[in-house]
Amino acid sequence: MSKTITTTSTRLAVAVSAALSTGLGSSAVAAAETTWAGFVENATYHRKDVGISKFRNTGQAEFETKFDSDSFRSLRLNGVLRGTYDGVYDLNDGEFGKDAQQDYLGADWHSSDLSSPTILSAGVPFPCDNDPTLCGNLDGYMDQDENDAKFPDFNDRLDFIRELYLSADKELSNGDVLSFRLGKQQVVWGKTDLFRVLDVINPVDYSRHNIYDELEDIRIPQWMLTAEWRMGPNQVLDDSNLSLVWNFDKFRPSNLGTCGQSYKMLDAGCFFSSRLGPWPIIHDVEEPEWSLANTQLGAKWEGVYGDATFSVNALTYRQQLPSLHFRYNPAFNPANPVAPGNTPFLEDGVFDIEFPRVNLLGGAIDYYSMDMDAVWRVELAYTEGEELPRDLDGHKETDMLRYVIGLDKNLVIPQLGTSSAFLISGQLFGEHILDHEADMPNDEDNWIATGLFKGWYMNNRLSPQIIAAHDFAAEATVLAPSVSWTPDNHWMFNLGLNVKFGGDQKFPWSVAGGAPVYEPLARFTNGPIGVANQEDEIQFTIRYSF
Amino acid sequence: MLKKSLLALCLSAAVTCTAQAAAVSDEVIQSSFFPYMNGMPSYPGLSAGMTINQSNVDQFKEVLDPGLYMFIKDGATEIKVGETTDFGLHQSYIDATRQYSGDVSLGDGYGELSKTVAGRPFPQEPSMDDPRAGEKLAWNYKYGYNWGDSATISPFYWTMRDMGSGKMERTIKFNFNFLNFTHRTQQAPFPEVTPNPSELFRGIYVKVLEPFDVKNTQLLIHRFEDDTKVDNAYLYLGFQRRVRRLSSGQTTDAFLGTDVMIEDFEGYNGRISDMKWVYKGTRNMLMPFYNHNDMVLDSETHQDEDGYQVVAFSGKGGCFPNITWQLRKVYEVESIPQDENHPISKRTHFMDAQTFTIPRTVVYDRKGDMWKNWIIGQAHPDHHLPVNKGTGVSIDDAFSMIDIQAQHCTTGQFKGIVDPERSPVDIFTVQNMRASGN
Repeated sequence: MSKTITTTSTRLAVAVSAALSTGLGSSAVAAAETTWAGFVENATYHRKDVGISKFRNTGQAEFETKFDSDSFRSLRLNGVLRGTYDGVYDLNDGEFGKDAQQDYLGADWHSSDLSSPTILSAGVPFPCDNDPTLCGNLDGYMDQDENDAKFPDFNDRLDFIRELYLSADKELSNGDVLSFRLGKQQVVWGKTDLFRVLDVINPVDYSRHNIYDELEDIRIPQWMLTAEWRMGPNQVLDDSNLSLVWNFDKFRPSNLGTCGQSYKMLDAGCFFSSRLGPWPIIHDVEEPEWSLANTQLGAKWEGVYGDATFSVNALTYRQQLPSLHFRYNPAFNPANPVAPGNTPFLEDGVFDIEFPRVNLLGGAIDYYSMDMDAVWRVELAYTEGEELPRDLDGHKETDMLRYVIGLDKNLVIPQLGTSSAFLISGQLFGEHILDHEADMPNDEDNWIATGLFKGWYMNNRLSPQIIAAHDFAAEATVLAPSVSWTPDNHWMFNLGLNVKFGGDQKFPWSVAGGAPVYEPLARFTNGPIGVANQEDEIQFTIRYSF
Repeated sequence: MLKKSLLALCLSAAVTCTAQAAAVSDEVIQSSFFPYMNGMPSYPGLSAGMTINQSNVDQFKEVLDPGLYMFIKDGATEIKVGETTDFGLHQSYIDATRQYSGDVSLGDGYGELSKTVAGRPFPQEPSMDDPRAGEKLAWNYKYGYNWGDSATISPFYWTMRDMGSGKMERTIKFNFNFLNFTHRTQQAPFPEVTPNPSELFRGIYVKVLEPFDVKNTQLLIHRFEDDTKVDNAYLYLGFQRRVRRLSSGQTTDAFLGTDVMIEDFEGYNGRISDMKWVYKGTRNMLMPFYNHNDMVLDSETHQDEDGYQVVAFSGKGGCFPNITWQLRKVYEVESIPQDENHPISKRTHFMDAQTFTIPRTVVYDRKGDMWKNWIIGQAHPDHHLPVNKGTGVSIDDAFSMIDIQAQHCTTGQFKGIVDPERSPVDIFTVQNMRASGN
């Protein structure tokens, strides 16, 4: 049970209250009630042939302070604090950590081949613990040391403050509501599970557990201001709302996991800390500095029309996955562009990482079908400005179309021994590269299908489920059955398996004479499911909530 | 739309409209809303203050529903008898019935009703000779004064209990809000909230406050004036931070693992057209009606600055509210699902004739065996929170849904508040769900 504290003694609440009172002139603001809740949790995962792959211990506390205000209908301060220690680097330091040197690049997901180790060296685990040059080149991105991985919430971006925001609702004379939320927060768009189409405002920390943790726990909260004009019903719509979001935080990309960590999406961390001959693959990370021009801005209009709810979304933001650019040629002479060797970029296989500006236009709709007694979900996002890797030419900017079609159905299946309805959910994600090139490792069109089958027994205290996902281009599949037991208000136990198949696609790399090889480009073809094909795990989580 | 406009005009110009709608006779009104005006019901040997238990339950079998009789007979509980009291509904609702119900009629099919404005659609006594009497009683419940035009239950404690061991497995703390978009009589605007493009009849908004694993879960149900249209239901899951549409399969599901279906809320929370309604007769029965402030209350579960305490529970497994039961006029009505895949075969409702609340329901499984017993204690508004005095709302005040087969129950402890300020229209929106979640 959470604790309700009717008090004005919370220092932060008092400070906010005082600041608001000052800001609102004579309007009275007083902290009225603070509630606390949270949990402590241990997640221990064991990976086949590897041993313990996670021994994550998390403490999380959430608070909400409601203020009495003459000026606002609702005024509250919310915060989420989290501290994590992952003991895997102490318990299994032969496999993970700064000393966990791989035999060759990609050893975690494929056998050795022509491209590894003869062309690209194995990645250096935690380069900032082992290789100052690599560490310097990666400055700003994927440059955690082992201690950062052990305590991922404690860093110079103050990630232990997961969320801290002030919300205010102001009722207008016509009954509409203006709402503001300022602070470190998550802003969720879209309606998809597992993969994101519109839900791209916050970057994601995939190093926590690839794509499999709840997005709430792996979105990287950003300092943002959101404003909403909740118009309610009109003569046509049952509900409508216009919202703006301004992400004024310093840009932060998604965290794919540093080499040496137990979860490294696409094994990108090791690729980035490998060498081509004597030269580090990554020459520099060009992370955008904070400036007004580098902030990100979005708008959403959503509503309810009959049996359909819809949204129209627009966002200008930065690509959250790295784009590899041939590095700039410092000797380039623009006055003599035709001279042999005088090219603006050095096409020597050594890259700079950049995060280009992206503009997104999209929308979502869900519709309840009375005939099927099921809910259809459709989501669409069209982007311009994204960059994808190429074999012969580094990268290419291309427009992208992503979409998902989902169907949710609740069905009572008495034969399975429960009167509770099972949730059956299917999604088909599609991706279309509008300016596709033959030397791109990504297919012009690809699809990922996901399925969820979840049931409840013993008054919902016992809940088995199975999640499945299949990447068609990678020919890779993941199955994740699990069962969760919640004996009372405090304890929760979850036992699960995470088993992958496939991920064996190769790519004809020009540097290897066009021979089909794994490294380095087939990681993009095999995707997050395929590249994790050696990460079959049994997973146990125990949580105590308060 | 023209008819709707005319009806709206009627409310603002009652004198003119009285000439158009056939007014209900005073005799019918008095009989329907004041069934005890000529005296309280009685039963041989039954008196206020006495206790009915295993030793004397057979003497009172005729005034007990089969579920309650079984529990007392088995020694699972005993009940105290209270005085029969008048639970007069708000005068505005009675006046609306008088004014608008004279020409209300059923359509050809289930769930079809001629346009109604407000009030009890069928105030006449039901007749066993009327094959559609049960359906009319169901409409009286649907358009009843159940929580008035709007109300809040805040907080609302649901506790899941093992009936055998008495172990309290989980307690979920909610806020519930109710709002009638149409058929309004007491809280402005009358008779409906506008704009209302989809012609919603009612909204129910639920938010979970505790425990942590389901905190911020929110449920929004929109019921339409058109009873043949399936409710729109939305679910916000705190850990997903987004609103999902629900298919109706989930309305017959165990709500958050409790013994209660969404369809069970308030006695019955579905479409009239989902069921076949059968009137089984009128009886005097012991029903859970009482004065909250006169009960022995639970001093531990809830404390607040109002000094309000919730109803205590006792009996087998702690599944029975510590309240008094009074002899009242009741309509017995069966509802039989039209859908053969529905998890139940029928419900037997015992509708209170004066208030048209459903304080007792016995639920039968697909095989026809007794499955669940649904008790919703009704508290008099004048003996409850000061804010409720004079509202004429029979306050839902304590519930227990007992799964006889699983020997399990879910109990509910309410703080019901009839205050329009707490249920503004905008909280019954999808946007509010998203904005209210973290």
